[in-house]
Amino acid sequence: MKLHSITLTNFRQFKGVQTFDLSSDTIKPVSLLFGANGAGKTTFLNAFTWALYGSMSEDVEQQDRMVTDSVWRELPMGDSAEVAVELRFDHEGRDYRLLRTATVRKESDQQGTPSPEVHLWVTKSDGSSEIVGAPQETIYSILPRGVSRFFFFNGERIENLVKKGAYAEVQKDIKVLLDLEQVERAIAHLPKVDRKLTAELKKHGGDKASEIQDAIDTLTERQTTGREELKLLEGDLATLVKERDSVTDLLRQHAEAAPIQAERDAVTKELEEARAARDAAIAERAHLVATRGFLAFTDRLGEATQAMADSLYQKGALPAPLKREFVDQLLEDGKCICGTELAEHSEPWEHVKDWRQRAGLQAVETAWQQLSGQIAPLSGARDELRDQLAALMKRIGAERDRVARLEERKSELDGKLKNSPMEVVADLETKRMDLDNRIGIKNQKKGAVESELGTIAKDIEAKTKERSRAEVTDELAAKARSRSDLVQSVKRALEAILAIREEDMRKRLDAELKAVFGSITHQNHVPTLSEGFELTLHKNVGGVELPVPKSTGENQILSLSFVAAVSKLAREIRKERRAEGDGAVDAGTYPIVMDAAFGSLDQDYQEAVSRALAKMAPQLVVLVSKSQGLGKVVTELMPYVSHLGVIETHTTAPGSVADDIELEGLAYPYIRSADSDHSELKVIK
Amino acid sequence: MQHEEDDKVEGGRHVTEGRTEKQVLEQLSNEERALLKRVLEIERAKLHLSAYDATDDLLDAVREILP
Repeated sequence: MKLHSITLTNFRQFKGVQTFDLSSDTIKPVSLLFGANGAGKTTFLNAFTWALYGSMSEDVEQQDRMVTDSVWRELPMGDSAEVAVELRFDHEGRDYRLLRTATVRKESDQQGTPSPEVHLWVTKSDGSSEIVGAPQETIYSILPRGVSRFFFFNGERIENLVKKGAYAEVQKDIKVLLDLEQVERAIAHLPKVDRKLTAELKKHGGDKASEIQDAIDTLTERQTTGREELKLLEGDLATLVKERDSVTDLLRQHAEAAPIQAERDAVTKELEEARAARDAAIAERAHLVATRGFLAFTDRLGEATQAMADSLYQKGALPAPLKREFVDQLLEDGKCICGTELAEHSEPWEHVKDWRQRAGLQAVETAWQQLSGQIAPLSGARDELRDQLAALMKRIGAERDRVARLEERKSELDGKLKNSPMEVVADLETKRMDLDNRIGIKNQKKGAVESELGTIAKDIEAKTKERSRAEVTDELAAKARSRSDLVQSVKRALEAILAIREEDMRKRLDAELKAVFGSITHQNHVPTLSEGFELTLHKNVGGVELPVPKSTGENQILSLSFVAAVSKLAREIRKERRAEGDGAVDAGTYPIVMDAAFGSLDQDYQEAVSRALAKMAPQLVVLVSKSQGLGKVVTELMPYVSHLGVIETHTTAPGSVADDIELEGLAYPYIRSADSDHSELKVIK
Repeated sequence: MQHEEDDKVEGGRHVTEGRTEKQVLEQLSNEERALLKRVLEIERAKLHLSAYDATDDLLDAVREILP
């Protein structure tokens, strides 16, 4: 989606019909608009979302007063006024004209709630335009409502994107944007298709196939119930964890509890590490015993083998003076080396045959040659095994001691908080412990359900294989079975694709987020996007990763980095080879329209953010006030600006309110006295 | 689908370790690949409709591919 222009008609402060050109290219992707406080920057931003979805953000007050106040006041009673926003844009190779318009009839001084209508036209390749039948649905398919929050936003409120509790919603929107949602939906819908197909199989397929299908159906039902249960458990767990975290946060903030909680945080972290180290050492020991443990039992074996070989030597059997293979050959040829004929059962034949029993086997001698050299090193390997085991036992012991010590320390700290003379602290700790227990129970249940689901999935697979082998004579039933097999393998492939995409997306978002955030911030803070799409900020202190609390400014930068990463990835993934086939050239391309981009950032950050902004999206509309946007911001952004404008404030306020804005060495009207309060879009370049 | 031994079952869902999307697609038969593509097209087109029941459209797609 690329914006061409926006036209506002009596839209709130914007009196009459006003157009702003937004067309831009890759070299100069930015449109920069200045406006004083109250000029209508937020209104301008909301004009986009109103045109697209018919709604405005919550921070827009008096949402019923859509028609410009002065236009409404001058309107005779009984007459109507039009309010409209027209948006021209292109998307995936087609040009669109979107018009949302409402006619409001004046029946009193108060404006009634408008009922806007939406129209959408698409320009065909011959230049003629055609009205789109389902305009709102088409808009949703171009840019889903939830996803628009990444592209049309207020910089001061954007930190909500990364606030605690927002992850689930953000994750859902990202799934839509990054092509995961349709995969999830397909996985959910395909079993329904399969049920219809297998119903046909049961109807026509004979007893055996029906019986197998019944079993599959029962398993599938159990699977559905299990998955629902798992979802509920995951939801409950998320709520409980969130609650426990907020209680722990309260303990961290409480003056009395804070130092104890801080120590407990450190001890908990160390305890986790100690437990991991202990488990790793135990696993290493198990591996050593499993792969080389047999050496411990080779003590007698080596000696016995050596003794056996010695006795063979003494008897002259080793090395064998005569090979059995040689005697066999003589018997087969029927002639001795001395020339005597060896007729079967003759005396010479019996004589030579006697030698066969006394001859040694070539294989035994070869084996001995190979084995004899290994008896001595065997003893060395035994010693080595003993040393390694001893070292591991020592390590396990040390880690066990460390775990025990830390557990004691943690229990002590738990007790200190639980039995705190401060009632608030004791209550908070009791609550935290209770939540911890409940989380433990839920986790156990979750584990049980997951394991059951694993078994069910395996059973279904086995039954499906059995079904493919079952004899089906009816043609309809055979067809239904092939179709069902097809649906099932596609579902399995989609599940694999979903898992691949989810992990790939998260890793790439995380990497991109780190890169953008790192280019803006001057702090040694590193953001991480967890598997649950939770955004956290860490700093590295002497090799240890410690969480850092996010300031409002940092939250803003983090959100901007997140938006930049999402925007980049949405474009990238559609260029790769994917199951959906090739997309349009501009697939996944969206503009970013941002109000108060620099929110409450200080000068240094403003400069860094400006630098990052120009590279954030293929098209950018930035709305700023004079105080936020002059100086370094303009210097950084100007090389990328294709359209520069001012939202001129016209005010009836008494006194000398006039103000100018100086841009590229020239002064332009910023605020002017007027007969009516309204704003005008002025193009500077 | 070939190489099913590569798959493991986790939480009742198939997860495949170390494979890429391209590899998953390559291991499918022509019919499977055609259906997978069609299914995603159908779902994507109706993504904004929460009330949409895809069953019949998907069933038609299966019947088209295996007439």
